[in-house]
Amino acid sequence: MADDLVVYAVVHQPRRVKLPAQPIPRGAVPEDIERCLFDERMNERYFRKVAKWCYYPATRSFLELVEEGFKLSIGFSVSFLRQAEMWDQELLGLFQRLVRHENVELVGVEPYHSFILLVDLERFIERMHWAADYLEKLFGKRPVVTDTTEMCMSDSIYHALDRAGFQGAVMDGRPWVMEWRDATHLYHNGKRMKLLARSYELSDDVGYRFSNRTWSGWPLSADRYARWLRDARGDFVFLAWDYETFGEHHSRDTGIFDFLRWFPREVRRTGMGFLTPSEALSKYADRCYHLPLPAFPSTWAGSGGMEFFLGNSAQQAIFQLMLHVYNTALLTGDARIVDLALWLLQSDNLHLIQWFGRGGSEAEVSAYFTPDEWWSLGPGGIIWEQQQVYRNFLNALDVYL
Amino acid sequence: MAVRPSGISPESCVFVLVSFEGPDRYSRAGGLGVRVAELSEALAERGFETHVIFVGDPHLESVESRMDGRLVLHRWSQWVSKYYPEGVYQGENEKLYDFTESVPWFVMDGIVRPAAERGKIVAVLGEEWHTAETVCRVSDLLYYHGLRDRAIQFWNANNTMSFHRMNWGRLTFTNTITTVSRYMKHIMWGLGTNPLVIPNGIPARAVGPVDEVAVARVREVLGGRPLLFKIGRFDPDKRWNMAVEAVARLKAMGMRPVFPMRGGIEPHGAEVLANARSMGLSVKEVYAEGRGVEDCLRALEQAGPADILDLRFFVPEEFVRVMYRAADAVLANSGHEPFGLVGLEVMGAGGVAFTGSTGEDYAIPFENAMVLDTADPGEIVGYVAHLANHPEDADRIRQGAARTAATFLWDRVIDNLLSKLEYIARNQGVLAGVGGARSATGGRDGR
Repeated sequence: MADDLVVYAVVHQPRRVKLPAQPIPRGAVPEDIERCLFDERMNERYFRKVAKWCYYPATRSFLELVEEGFKLSIGFSVSFLRQAEMWDQELLGLFQRLVRHENVELVGVEPYHSFILLVDLERFIERMHWAADYLEKLFGKRPVVTDTTEMCMSDSIYHALDRAGFQGAVMDGRPWVMEWRDATHLYHNGKRMKLLARSYELSDDVGYRFSNRTWSGWPLSADRYARWLRDARGDFVFLAWDYETFGEHHSRDTGIFDFLRWFPREVRRTGMGFLTPSEALSKYADRCYHLPLPAFPSTWAGSGGMEFFLGNSAQQAIFQLMLHVYNTALLTGDARIVDLALWLLQSDNLHLIQWFGRGGSEAEVSAYFTPDEWWSLGPGGIIWEQQQVYRNFLNALDVYL
Repeated sequence: MAVRPSGISPESCVFVLVSFEGPDRYSRAGGLGVRVAELSEALAERGFETHVIFVGDPHLESVESRMDGRLVLHRWSQWVSKYYPEGVYQGENEKLYDFTESVPWFVMDGIVRPAAERGKIVAVLGEEWHTAETVCRVSDLLYYHGLRDRAIQFWNANNTMSFHRMNWGRLTFTNTITTVSRYMKHIMWGLGTNPLVIPNGIPARAVGPVDEVAVARVREVLGGRPLLFKIGRFDPDKRWNMAVEAVARLKAMGMRPVFPMRGGIEPHGAEVLANARSMGLSVKEVYAEGRGVEDCLRALEQAGPADILDLRFFVPEEFVRVMYRAADAVLANSGHEPFGLVGLEVMGAGGVAFTGSTGEDYAIPFENAMVLDTADPGEIVGYVAHLANHPEDADRIRQGAARTAATFLWDRVIDNLLSKLEYIARNQGVLAGVGGARSATGGRDGR
């Protein structure tokens, strides 16, 4: 039986590109290119909506829970923090209160939620340092354990994060990576940095299935769920969710906030304790096992491999454009242009078109995250216009080369 | 619930003109900029708070208040225009995107909402295809935010350009469609919409007195020869070749015509002049050293004899009116003219306009103008010869022209506009009362 529970939630909002693609004036300065690329009005609208239904009520709930002894680890993309700084300082203040609490550990995240980790590991390391500095300045805590983007992990990424100086990192405990191992132990891949493997089925019971009335486990009560956690074989259970699980993916009327309120108490009643990731690293340091990581990254999205992001022709085209954009931006030697290219590497631009040519529950999830406003373009129009954003950017770089 | 005003008046209504072209020199490419500038000024003079949103000069203030704050110019898309110094239509796609995307929010948050809070309604007038999507989005936004019944929305077609790329169903559903002539109305019927006709207007200066001394000097300088004049873009629709062929035929008849003409920079001009030369007409390019009437007269004096005087200088409005008045025939002979503002301006100067017979609703043949029904140069020749032989007809036409032009002053056109706004506003429930004719309170001069 697992003795401890580690809970992690990541807060993220994408910086959505503007569709239909806005033509960029020839000779435009980076600030004007930027306003053509991103739909900040739409981003603000979604931010405020999620703030109302999720961020405020969920954060208030977590504040109460950590006061009662619950332990939470939390990660923020800079993509989200930038929006909060622009549009809702009060919410940012609420998150700062939460993060400052002694029972909360701040976890690192790739700052733009980008796939730079697939493209340029040196830059990835730089970006993770930059993110750690950013978080420390904003929250007064510096992360020592880190997430990446979409919990991507591979042998290469592991070594990059180890070189970046993190003591621990999180990954998804998919069977194709874990093989015969349980996710409920602490692991390493040959270097100093430790790995916490997410119990993906138990996590997804809440993250995906909680409001699914056709699921055999519905309705999921806190006491039943706590027993499932306690019954897990191993040292500790590591649960990880989108923060938006609470109130956004599952609306208030599904009972998700009631579940959240009762969940820590029920866990405690089973005899389990709460740990932050760092505490788990310390406590289980002498029982840390080798886990060979694959060359192909694993992810917590979809079925656990990069096919969720690169599995269809439209995604592959965007990924090619991401590479062109990033490498061309490097040629300009202009830091502001490179920064825009990093934004365009945001993984969401691949996530949002996972549905292309596909059906089933994963495609439904992807389509759910595709902005409603885009659907008037039609599926083909979305794909075309999204590529046009990248092409417009590439054309705009001509004058910088 | 807000109390609804009972009529369109400066106390009850704010105007917003949405147009690509506007009052700035940067923003004027054709008649639209003039129309928007004059209409907005006329509305402000009538006392209405009037906003003009247009693609303005990037080097001027983004917001400029004129006429004691009644007229407010909003120079839009300046951040795009700074990359396109050549004028309003350079970087058209880039400007169009920005304009369409951002104007609706400003109209709602910056104009309609504050007006509604003051108990006023807003009349949104969109101009030309560039604004069609914008005004649709304005309507959608206002509807979504519960403000649609605080606005009446008109969209006006001054031309048929880009009709093929507009969503007529959406536009007609969200806006009342207007146009500038019955000819345009008939074209637009074919697109499934029945626009209201609100003609263009002219400013008071267009019907004011002409410098008769200058008129006499023009006649004298040009040797008292039959004088034909034409001004406009070198566009095949303007039937320049018809004009030069008529001149050639008059010359062949021994009438010794002289044809000062002012075209644009369009390549069709080279074809027109080559055509003229091939018909045996002599062509001289004429340049002026200054921008005043006297400079223009001196340029004509120094040009020397030729059949065609190709004016290659900026012709000031004052001198254009002199030429309108001095000419025996001003050839506004377009084959497709949505309204034909030049013809009306000729009439305002007491000139003899030879108009086409499409959108020139104001022109009545042999009463206030000569109306050309065909593209046959012989029709021009015949009418010029007739007027030469019957100067009393020419005088009568000049007098009739001036009278007609006076009925198209903006002040009068606005009466027509307000009447139609009230009609639509009542039908849509924006104004109190039942639909129908205009109320007494909204009448001109308080009638």
